[in-house]
Amino acid sequence: MSLTSLDPRISRLGLPDSPLLPPDKPELDQFETYEVFHQKKEGTAYAYVGPVHAPSLEVAFLFGKEQYSRRFACTGLWVTPTSAVQVTAYGDDAGSVYDTLSGGQNEPTEAPLSESAEEQAAYAAGEEDYDIFHLKKRGKAHMHVGKVHASSHAMALQQAKAVFGDQRPVVNVWVIRSADILRSDEEDRDIWSTTPEKKYRDALAYKVQDKIERFKAENPENAPQA
Amino acid sequence: MNTDALKDLLYRLADDQLILGHRNSEWNGLGPILEEDIAFSSMAQDKLGHSLQLYTLLHQLGEAEPDTVAFTRNAPQFHCAQLVELPIGEYDFSLIRHFLYDHAEILRFEALSHSSYEPLAQVARKLKGELKYHTLHANTWIKQLGSSTEEAIERLQNSLNYTLPYALGLFEKTAAEDDVISEGIFVGEDEIRARWQENITKLLSQTALNLPDLTTLTPVYGGRFGEHTEYLQPLLDEMAEVFRVDPTAEW
Repeated sequence: MSLTSLDPRISRLGLPDSPLLPPDKPELDQFETYEVFHQKKEGTAYAYVGPVHAPSLEVAFLFGKEQYSRRFACTGLWVTPTSAVQVTAYGDDAGSVYDTLSGGQNEPTEAPLSESAEEQAAYAAGEEDYDIFHLKKRGKAHMHVGKVHASSHAMALQQAKAVFGDQRPVVNVWVIRSADILRSDEEDRDIWSTTPEKKYRDALAYKVQDKIERFKAENPENAPQA
Repeated sequence: MNTDALKDLLYRLADDQLILGHRNSEWNGLGPILEEDIAFSSMAQDKLGHSLQLYTLLHQLGEAEPDTVAFTRNAPQFHCAQLVELPIGEYDFSLIRHFLYDHAEILRFEALSHSSYEPLAQVARKLKGELKYHTLHANTWIKQLGSSTEEAIERLQNSLNYTLPYALGLFEKTAAEDDVISEGIFVGEDEIRARWQENITKLLSQTALNLPDLTTLTPVYGGRFGEHTEYLQPLLDEMAEVFRVDPTAEW
C-alpha cells in the first residue's frame, strides 16, 4: 500500500503509507542541558533566556553568564537542569492553562509565603519551595511569577493555580523545585557591572558604510560595472 | 605623590593584562567546547579592556597614547611578568595560568580600589567585578576537572608544578615598591602574595591537586625589569602587525 495524496506528484513517488521508523541512532556523546533565566534590571521578574549545555550546574552558570549577559544588561542569573523543569500542557492564547487542570478546586487560596512559624510547619510537613513561571504568549519567554510551598511538583502546580490562577492569559506553566535552581549571589552583584567602554563588542560599532563609500569614490576603477 | 613609582606600578599592571589578554585570545575558535571558547575569548577581551583603562591613566600622567604604548614598544620595554607571555600550550596549562594569575589580579584590584591615587581607585572599583567573575570561572573549572579523571588530575598537577615558579614571578618587586606602599597607592607585593597563597591553598584543597611547598620553589623573576622569554617578541610583532603597516588604520 503506497501513500496517495491530493497532489499527484506525491502519489507518483510511491512512498509507503506510513512513515518508516527512523533507524536507531547511536546515543549522542554530549553534556546535559540547562535552562537559564536572567534579570534584566533590578527589581524585575526573572525571564527565561535560553539553554546551555555543560558538564555540571556550576559550569552551566558560567556559560549562561557568557551566553546571555555578555552583550545585554543583566543584574542576575538563575540556572537549572532541563530535567528539573516540569512543563504543563499548552493552553490557548486567550485563556489560562490552569483551567484545564483537574482537581485542586478547594486548595487554599492564599500563598503560604509568610516566613517563620507557618513556613517552618510547612517544611516539617515535607514541603519546600517551588518556583512558578508563566508563558503569556507563544513565542515569548516564560516569566517568573512567584513561589509556592508544596510537597511535589504536582501539588505545587495546584498551589500555583490557587495563587496565580486568575492571571490571563497563561499559555503554559513551568514548575521548578527552588532547590534545583542555582542563583547568582547577592554578594557578587558586582560581576554584572562591566566597563562602560565596550562598544567594540557590538556589531553596531562596526560602521563600514562610510568607508565603503570613500573607497568607491577613491577607486572608481574597482566599482562594480552597471 | 611619587609619579615615577606610580607609573612603574601602572605599567606592570597594564602590561600583564595586555599580554595575557592577547595570549588568551589565541584560544578563540579552538576552545574545548563552544561555550567555553566563547567564555575564554570574552575574558581575554575583558583583559584587553582593562589594559586600555590602565594605559589611559598612564596617558593622563604624560605617557604616550594607549595605542602607541601598546604597539610600538619592544620586549625589553615591557614590564609584564614572564608568566603571561608563555605560549597557550594545552588547555590544562592555560587553565592553571588563568587560575594562578586571576587569583593574584583580583587581590590587586581589590587593594587598588582603596588606593590613595583616586583615578586608579576608580578604575579598580569598576574592573574588580569582572575580575571576580574571571576568578569564579577559574575556580569552577579547577574544582570540576581537579577532582575528575586520572588524566585530568595528572595534567593539571603537571601544569601546576610547571607554572608555579612563573606565577611567583608576578610578585617580583621593583624600586617603586617602598614608595607605592608608603604613599598608600598599593599594599605591596608581599601582602598580595600572602593573601594569594591563602586563597589558592583553600581552593586547591577542595580538589585532588597538591600545592607544592612554595618556599622550595625559585620564582622566575626578571619580567618587571624587561627580561623576557623568547616568546614575548613574536607575540608583540604579531599584535602590532596592522599598526606597523598603517598606524591610522581603524576597524
